[in-house]
Amino acid sequence: MIKILLVEDMPDTVELVRRALSTYDYEVVHAPDAETGLELALEQRPSLILLDLGLPDYDGQTLAGWLRAESALADTPIIAFTAWPQETARKMVESYGCNGYIQKPILKVRDFVDQIESFIKAQ
Amino acid sequence: MTDEKIQLVPTSRFTIEQLTAIYNQTRVDYLVPMPMNAKRLAAYIADYDVDLEHSLVAMQGDELLGVAMLGVRAGRAWITRLGVLPNTRRGGVGKALMTGLIENAAKLNRNFVMLEVIKNNVPAHQLFLKLGFREVGELLVLRRPPIMPPPDPVVADAQRLEQLDALRLTSRARGAMPWTNQSETLINANEVSGLHITLADDSRGWLVYQRQKFTLTRFAYKTEVGNPTTVAYAFLSHLHHQYPRLDTQLENMQVNDPHLPAFYEMGYVESFRRIEMWLGDPPPNLNTPTGSETRIKVS
Repeated sequence: MIKILLVEDMPDTVELVRRALSTYDYEVVHAPDAETGLELALEQRPSLILLDLGLPDYDGQTLAGWLRAESALADTPIIAFTAWPQETARKMVESYGCNGYIQKPILKVRDFVDQIESFIKAQ
Repeated sequence: MTDEKIQLVPTSRFTIEQLTAIYNQTRVDYLVPMPMNAKRLAAYIADYDVDLEHSLVAMQGDELLGVAMLGVRAGRAWITRLGVLPNTRRGGVGKALMTGLIENAAKLNRNFVMLEVIKNNVPAHQLFLKLGFREVGELLVLRRPPIMPPPDPVVADAQRLEQLDALRLTSRARGAMPWTNQSETLINANEVSGLHITLADDSRGWLVYQRQKFTLTRFAYKTEVGNPTTVAYAFLSHLHHQYPRLDTQLENMQVNDPHLPAFYEMGYVESFRRIEMWLGDPPPNLNTPTGSETRIKVS
């Protein structure tokens, strides 16, 4: 089973992502904040990290920078998951070493899963 | 919402966990939601001198509708964290909270009130204009990611400033800065230190900052002699050389700040913009803008 780490504080979004991905045989590990996200990323070694940019303890960019600085996670795709305008999201993704971004909200589950798959295959 | 009257209750009647929950609920649909946990909100309240007795939660019966906080410092007040639950917007809750806070500020003899609004948050901006606030400047929120290669430090005499010396510098008149960047914020913060730089041509200046676990933040700086861009590049090169793995977040830098080109050259990127607004006039001891602090009309 491919493991995805979801770092996200909004319970409704967590539930939606968990349902969407588990339907397609992904395992979702969830961290509700940045510190837990860093801990789980190192402990669980997921195949992809899906990262909300607005977290309650540190923001998502700070966490992305820290994840990227960990050599053990150098090849793990980090995907920003955000409702920010595309231009802002693109700028943050490039600056903080993320591999891409997925726009919130999820409108079509199949499209969302396809995006996740394409980021995993690109590695 | 029913026709029942909106009640304004001091935030001091709620626990920090309750306030955090109310605040987060008001932001769920924001483009830049900025959620907080209780620890982060508690630090925010302490750092920015938020007065919980004079900050307000709006309620209708048992239903929570929104929250707004009031920072209080000598001769001035600041409105922050204003938020209304999405399903109760357009019902006068924001106006009631704002009016309540302005009244509370007046009771404390603070007739000069500051705030910032995220650029393009049209409903809030319009409400503030209607309540008599005027635009005084446009502010940038900048970031520098830690994955950038550390810069070579510019050749200069660089002296580290310990907390006391650093705070002494920031306490000198720097004009009416945005609330987040005022001296009191740095005095309230932990882990504050600084850097004084003198270049070969005798240009010189200083930078004071807070170093947190993962981030550098809360910058105050000044060019004493020389070109601000050159001096800023020099102090930033030393700072980021020293802390190559820390994320950097810079709040509310004025768009016309002459140091700004150095920040962009050092790899800072714009996250978003705010508009700063004032109600009333700053007291004389604050109304002394110098150089970079001179305000402009927003675009």
